[in-house]
Amino acid sequence: MGSGKLRSALVIGGQGIRARKLRTFLSMTSLFLGVLAVLTVQAGAEIAERAMLSGVELTRGKDGTLQMFVPQEEPALGVVERTLAGRSDGVAVVGMNAIIGEPGVRPINDGAVPFDHPRVGGPEGGSGKPDGQAIEVQLEALTGDVRGFRPFRQVSGQWLDFASAPALAPRIVVNEEAAIGLRRHRVPGEMALPGAAVHVTPQVVGVVEDGSPRPSVYVRMDELRTWPPGSSNADTSRGGSRVQVMLSPSATDLVQTLRSRLIGVGVPADELDAHPIDSREELEGQLSLVRLIFLGMAALVLLIGVAGILNVGLATVGERVEELALRRAVGTSRLLLAGIVLAETLLTGLLTAVAAIGTGAAGVKVGSALLGPSYPALQGISFPWQAGVAGVVAGVAAGVLGGLVPAIRAARIPIAAVMRA
Amino acid sequence: MTPLIHLTGITKTLKGQGEPRSILSGVDLTLHAGRSVAILGRSGSGKSTLLSVLGLFDRADGGRYLLGDKDITRLPEQRAAALRSAEFGFVFQRFFLLKHLTAAQNVAMAFVNGQGWLPRGKRRARVMAALDLVGIAHLAEHRPPRLSGGEQQRVAIARALVREPRVLLADEPTGALDTETGALVVDVLRDATSRGCGLVLVTHDRDHARKMDDVLELREGRFA
Repeated sequence: MGSGKLRSALVIGGQGIRARKLRTFLSMTSLFLGVLAVLTVQAGAEIAERAMLSGVELTRGKDGTLQMFVPQEEPALGVVERTLAGRSDGVAVVGMNAIIGEPGVRPINDGAVPFDHPRVGGPEGGSGKPDGQAIEVQLEALTGDVRGFRPFRQVSGQWLDFASAPALAPRIVVNEEAAIGLRRHRVPGEMALPGAAVHVTPQVVGVVEDGSPRPSVYVRMDELRTWPPGSSNADTSRGGSRVQVMLSPSATDLVQTLRSRLIGVGVPADELDAHPIDSREELEGQLSLVRLIFLGMAALVLLIGVAGILNVGLATVGERVEELALRRAVGTSRLLLAGIVLAETLLTGLLTAVAAIGTGAAGVKVGSALLGPSYPALQGISFPWQAGVAGVVAGVAAGVLGGLVPAIRAARIPIAAVMRA
Repeated sequence: MTPLIHLTGITKTLKGQGEPRSILSGVDLTLHAGRSVAILGRSGSGKSTLLSVLGLFDRADGGRYLLGDKDITRLPEQRAAALRSAEFGFVFQRFFLLKHLTAAQNVAMAFVNGQGWLPRGKRRARVMAALDLVGIAHLAEHRPPRLSGGEQQRVAIARALVREPRVLLADEPTGALDTETGALVVDVLRDATSRGCGLVLVTHDRDHARKMDDVLELREGRFA
């Protein structure tokens, strides 16, 4: 269709909409719910995916981050520490369990379980130690700022300062669950590491949300090393006896250097593969079926809207038979006549999509403001552009589907019969 | 001189339910530029069918239709539409004005049909000139419900003339008007021929017919 024809179709379509405002409004109303349903499903799925992904990113790491596991023993651990020293594109995490509180007692949450979990194993839990004022935490010693890979949200205080000289009393940042334990049980400020001969007195400098349900504590690895010699040889209960190394996807040179050095100290090469984290793909797999089911339901609602447009479109063509015949008489071709009717339903569909997108975006904003305080995942969310695209596609598709039959009928109007009538 | 329109042996049979009915059975007609012809005939004599064939609304079953020296007897729909836009102007008994558009917008309809595009300014100038030609330029912004029958028919004539067609086809244009207004409308149509346009007027009214250069009467599908 040439530009003249397209302009004519749009001009006449626009005139038709203005001339039949109420009818257009009724068509839009029936279609609005359908487009809104598609938008809601799409936006809901996107927001759910983002919320789930942000939770997973806190615990597993950002999508695309390269992950490597290295034996937690010397000289490999020393090589990792030296290679990553001062780098922001790679961080090593050494995990172990630690007990904060009275020494030589069974912790309140034996096994670093969440504090609301029921205690297992009877009064002494089979450990042979008496119950005491101590909590068990999952300690993660870091060679650098891990937030580039696991975007922890600061709840209070501050994060670990990796630029300053190591402190003698290790500074620790606790997660919200550990903060609950410390607040609730008022344990003595003494931390015991398995296998370490000396207890340390940590300074809590901040609280973060890290997505973990277990009480966790983050500490600079060098501060842990300066205080209890040999602590790096402590047993770990997480990740076996391996150090987790997280690397930026662009840090290929660092990966290469680290691998070479570790192979040089005898670590088998086949144990040093860097795998990217692909949480999004896994989540999309889980969400896709649910999304499909809901999209199917939304499509049904949309079909009702299409039927509405079709119904109104057919009635309108019936009423406009003289106008359409006249337009043919003054030189409008059958094809353009069909285009005019389609342009009207298409514009109606687009207007509906715009209205539905506006409503959806406002709904997301209001929902975020109202529910954000109760559901942190909903804080600061914005209307996903994918939902906008889905809305426009749904509106246009409904406009075309609903307008097709009226358009064909309009194109078949016989001029002579109408003009003679 | 090549006639504007030359019909020879035009036939048309209507096939509906029941027996096919012959409406036109060998119509010959010649119209020269700047000339007018009135077609008289009783109801059902085939006047409107002939006008439909002339205006390319309908195709003849047989015969030959020349527009100038061009044979347009069997024209595809797309080209027929383009020709209707460029060469013909139509005036009907019922005015067929769109109520939601102003008089000027109704006239401009003839330009908004996908057959080329005129910039708004030029379009407006042509529309106003056409309305001026039929003496109602001052009513350009009025909508049809606010116009009298005669004024509405003048808007319809302006719409037919605005593209400066070579042929003006009028199907009982005075049928819905009183005698005095009808006479004025026929005068306006007649004036169009002074600018070289050919006019075919289908009418029941012999007084109006007498104002044309030629008068033909259609009986049983052919001119008497």
